[in-house]
Amino acid sequence: MHLDWGPDVVAFRAELVAFLDEHAPPQTRTRRDFATSDSDQIIPGWAKEWQATLFDHGWMIPGYPPELGGRNATPVQTLVYLEEMAARGIPRSLHFPGYAIVAPSLLEYGTPEQRAMAPAAIRGDTVWCIGMSEPNAGSDLAGLQTRAVQDGDRFIVNGQKVWTSYAMVAQRCCLYVRTDPDAPKHKGISLLILDMDTPGIDIRPLTHINGNADFAEVFLTDVEVPVANLVGALNDGWRMTQGSLAHERAGLWVEGVARLEQTITGLVDLAHRRGVAHDPIVRRRIAEGYQRAASLRALGYKGFTSFAQGAAAPEHSYMKLASSELGKELYELGMEIQGAYGPVIDEERGEEAGRWPLSFFVSFANTIAGGTSEIQRNIIAQRVLGLPRA
Amino acid sequence: MNFSLTDDQELLRDSARHLLEHQCPPALLRAHTDDLTAADDLWHLLDDFVPLGIGPLVDLCVFMEALGSVAAPVPFFSTACLYAPVLEAIGEHDLDSVLDGHATGTVAVAGADGVWHPNAESRKTFVPDAARVDLVAAVNADGAVTLLAAPPVRRIETLDTTRPLYDVETAVPGTSAGVISRAALDDVLLRATVALAAEMVGTARRLFDMTLAYAKERIQFDVPIGSFQAVQHKLADMSLDVERAWSAVYYAAMAVDAGDPDRTRAMHVAKAAAGEAARRAAKDGIQIHGGIGFTMEHDLHLFLRRALASEALLGTTGDHHDRLAELLF
Repeated sequence: MHLDWGPDVVAFRAELVAFLDEHAPPQTRTRRDFATSDSDQIIPGWAKEWQATLFDHGWMIPGYPPELGGRNATPVQTLVYLEEMAARGIPRSLHFPGYAIVAPSLLEYGTPEQRAMAPAAIRGDTVWCIGMSEPNAGSDLAGLQTRAVQDGDRFIVNGQKVWTSYAMVAQRCCLYVRTDPDAPKHKGISLLILDMDTPGIDIRPLTHINGNADFAEVFLTDVEVPVANLVGALNDGWRMTQGSLAHERAGLWVEGVARLEQTITGLVDLAHRRGVAHDPIVRRRIAEGYQRAASLRALGYKGFTSFAQGAAAPEHSYMKLASSELGKELYELGMEIQGAYGPVIDEERGEEAGRWPLSFFVSFANTIAGGTSEIQRNIIAQRVLGLPRA
Repeated sequence: MNFSLTDDQELLRDSARHLLEHQCPPALLRAHTDDLTAADDLWHLLDDFVPLGIGPLVDLCVFMEALGSVAAPVPFFSTACLYAPVLEAIGEHDLDSVLDGHATGTVAVAGADGVWHPNAESRKTFVPDAARVDLVAAVNADGAVTLLAAPPVRRIETLDTTRPLYDVETAVPGTSAGVISRAALDDVLLRATVALAAEMVGTARRLFDMTLAYAKERIQFDVPIGSFQAVQHKLADMSLDVERAWSAVYYAAMAVDAGDPDRTRAMHVAKAAAGEAARRAAKDGIQIHGGIGFTMEHDLHLFLRRALASEALLGTTGDHHDRLAELLF
């Protein structure tokens, strides 16, 4: 047991910091919540350029080889990368599906032609969306009903997807469809690559409670997809729903914890401005938040170091559950500290242009998206603790 | 960074667990409740480990965690985590007899408010094991350390009987042993607090393990109660708190061993996280056990008592949050 990371990490960190100081555009240094862009454009020009710059310098996915936007970084170096980006609040990309989910799946399961689509997905030259959730398949994803029927060298697709991030701007979609309605529900799902300019696709933006509209409903009516666009084997799509950057998975918590730490710093400043910095209840609650974030950081490191040594790291579910729930509590506290002004989002009269109530809204999404807190608890109970299914 | 135990640490953990599992069953805790000498034989098996008290903190935590999981009723915390490091800090030559297992001791600091802060009060409170150790090291307001043999003591009745606490009257003849600086005393208490947090994680994990096993075997409505989501979610939250606290404790121990500037914060985080884990494990552990957990006959209460008493020793969870707030604001 020891704290230091070793000398090669020092040099790696210095090289990254020098790169960021030289290349990161000013828009990436505002420390705002990039998970939901409030720009007029869903993916602004600077964000596209920044992603391409990261790719070209091998800083997009450091653990990948240079042709995939990386530099063959070790697991520890990858964690350091995620840590430094998170500490500065610098996003890699404003559209995560392509580099984080689609590219790893294509590289693992795709044909040579499909694998060749990965670099552009990682560089952000192609914007991807993922057609996964449906009105009746949310947490119960395997219950999806969008049908694909093979007809010669094409599939005919009919159905509806929802919560489809970036559907309005995407060129391609990774679409999960039911190809065998008679098989057990996990065994009749396939993955198709859909060109978003194919006839029969109707996209309707879906506005969130915070006013952002980067999600959409996608209606598919007799959409034709070439059989060559099937990824992996027919009816073998379910295991590809788990696809993500496996080598980064053990470090993804860093961003969430860094955001919690920045929120706690923000709460201390807020308490000073609102004249409650000496209120013992406010002080204790903020300190509790600090304690929970700090102990989560320790748990994240523990999970990461066992992962780096080849062990399974069940900490991912713990980290997702705890950091999203704590985030919600902290923003709520920020509103409470402001008393009557808690829900004010007025630029002039609200604190930090409504940072606390608006972030509170965003924090609702974090305990739902990517597996709700209830699903995370089910996963911990059943897969980590070995409790029986109901 | 590396959270894996070294081979030596694994050996320490496994041998401590093996020994305690056999030599410190719940029956011993029950016997000790009525007769404090019931654990004397156990102590003679454990006194070899006293030198851990002045060695690397990670190693000490590994051992304390094992003690916590059986709620060992021995004066290890008082002798190894408090007394030995105080003697070491003041250069007291009697340290050798403590390290070789011949002498035991404890430390008296807190006054009437129960806070471990040097003060001028002659009656010290919350002194662990004061009636069963050879010497009590009383620390006064200036850090002067006086060693007292068999001073007048009065047992403080608490929920827990495994680590008896006492009021000690220190205005009695004793041996002046030297002066401990404020910084040195803070260091001793910082290490002792992390070690106590490690012990609490051991106790919390024991409560959790007992509860998880019970949820898997207890049948109601023809199924194990652990198949119900309401029970599963409680267990998931309990395990999250235990994992979080374990990590915070060893992070703090590594920070202390490395002399890291973050060590004081890390200590507060560790004790508060361990306090939250212990409290939740105690409350939800009982709840999931249902009525049987509320009986003297069942062993659960033995660990529940130790967990709640440890949570209040060397600063409650709330105290440590308040001290963190002083560093944040």
